Amino acid sequence: MNFSEQLFEKIKEYASPKEVNWIEAKNNGSLQSLQTAFVATPRFVSKTIINSTETINDVSISDWTLDRLVRVYLLTTLDVSDKDIYTKTINSLFETAENNEAVALISALPFLAFPDYWLLRATDAVRSNIGLIFDAIVFQNPYPLQNFSELAWNQLVLKCIFNDKPIHRIQGLNERANQALANSISNLAHERWAADRRIPEQAWRLVSKFINETIFEDICTLFISQNSNDNIAAALVCKETNFLALKEELKKHKELDERMLTWNTLEV
Amino acid sequence: MCQKHSEISQNPSHFEGTAEELVTSEIIQANYADYTKGMKFFDPHIHMTSRTTDDYTALIDAGVVAIIEPAFWLGQPRTGLASFKDYFSSLVGWERFRSSQFGIKHYCTIGLNSREANNEALAEQVMEILPLFLYKEGVVGVGEIGFDDQTAAEEKYYRLQLELSKEAGLPVQVHTPHRDKKKGTELSMSIALEHGIDPSMVIIDHNNEETVERVLDQGFWAAFTIYPFTKMGNERMVEIVKKYGSERIMINSAADWGISDPLAVPKTAALMKIKGISDADIQLVTYQNAINAFAQSGQINVTDFETPVVIDQSLKFNGNTVLRGGQIPRVDKNSLIIS
Repeated sequence: MNFSEQLFEKIKEYASPKEVNWIEAKNNGSLQSLQTAFVATPRFVSKTIINSTETINDVSISDWTLDRLVRVYLLTTLDVSDKDIYTKTINSLFETAENNEAVALISALPFLAFPDYWLLRATDAVRSNIGLIFDAIVFQNPYPLQNFSELAWNQLVLKCIFNDKPIHRIQGLNERANQALANSISNLAHERWAADRRIPEQAWRLVSKFINETIFEDICTLFISQNSNDNIAAALVCKETNFLALKEELKKHKELDERMLTWNTLEV
Repeated sequence: MCQKHSEISQNPSHFEGTAEELVTSEIIQANYADYTKGMKFFDPHIHMTSRTTDDYTALIDAGVVAIIEPAFWLGQPRTGLASFKDYFSSLVGWERFRSSQFGIKHYCTIGLNSREANNEALAEQVMEILPLFLYKEGVVGVGEIGFDDQTAAEEKYYRLQLELSKEAGLPVQVHTPHRDKKKGTELSMSIALEHGIDPSMVIIDHNNEETVERVLDQGFWAAFTIYPFTKMGNERMVEIVKKYGSERIMINSAADWGISDPLAVPKTAALMKIKGISDADIQLVTYQNAINAFAQSGQINVTDFETPVVIDQSLKFNGNTVLRGGQIPRVDKNSLIIS
């Protein structure tokens, strides 16, 4: 089964016969009718929540609404033989999208043909201040992992940290950790500390492999923080890193070292 | 609009009671919200794009749980199709999201306003993109459309948009002109009837004492805009409800970039309460009638704003937007310290 068929099978688990009929009537139609169907989906399909741990094409669809799933499916039935027509059709949906449509379009990026072509749509979603649209590119979406440059990736992760979003839900978080990102996290922490604020503690999981003198000092600062989660983050970085001075530092904090700590403790 | 000071002193405030009565009225004025405690309001005409976050906070505090933002003129003419597209798109996008951060459900009506209908070359292009927006979630009508100068071009695009509303099964929100209002209102209604549109699908807006009777008699909804100086005052509104009752009557603020009051609906509700209008009638003209009229679009689900507001944590965003930690952050306006 290709992913389009898999999506349709999943839809049939949740949709009523009437909804399935409507979808079937639309997925064989012309471009124009498919475009209209994408817009009109919530008029004919409910917002039932999908409760599935299964992934399709590496995308977790858990907690999606049924109309979102149907919209993504409709896009996977578009004819890809003519790149110009295909991209023009989807671009016009992007340009006139209301918020729920935009969420469906961004969620569909991993399913679209010509992945490189959609890069600006994806980075624009990261720039969005509409929480739902930002979340649609950042969570349950492998597109950034597969297509983003290091700069775009780092921007995504930093904006998540900046806005207190749960970074552990980003696909590929650990495998795409890098020195530039670790440095930026350190800089963000300095700015926050100067204002007597802090960064979410689990952000420090991204620096373990990239300790330098500056970040070493940061970890020492975390150890003396009044916030116990900062202390835990410091201990976890020390356990993960190969930076010797931090291994020494951990010895000074036996009580933290002896606790069975993992980053899961700090995932909120 | 601007009153000369000399005229004000020649025409003193209509309050001519005793000193004690004056004190009482000032207390009522300061505490008018006490009269609307527990009431919910629906403002079916307000241009939030032109308003600040302070207004959103004031609206939700005053009990306004849902609003309709009609597409309108931005104070100066647009020069190209793209600015129309971006404007319509912001009504179903950014503004809708901004409103949700304050726990206010935001709907809109989409249409080509009468003033800009006069730029026919551009109007033609706008007509082509209207269907793309009319079928979107939360679009509860075609609006605000109708007459301004009452030109031939205005009439042409009013008629074309009436046909669009019929096709989409959407209510129509009709703007009536400032100048020569009575004639413009009559014309708007007769054209709608000529197009075979059920008057129960048409909300005639910006009514006054002169127009209300004909609007109600013919079966249309009569909306009243409480807007300082140029439209209705709310004392006059109270008299209208006393005279005509609450059936098919609704009020709105039409707050925009002009000197207007986003709290016009709750303030008028308070005034009606003070002046002895029943709670049931107040509920109809400040909430229920607007819902009944626009829910004919199939796009209003009252549970979206009638259930206790839980601001969705997934909307949490503290960049340069407003929601933080699941509640609306308050700014103490009198505080010198900004932290």
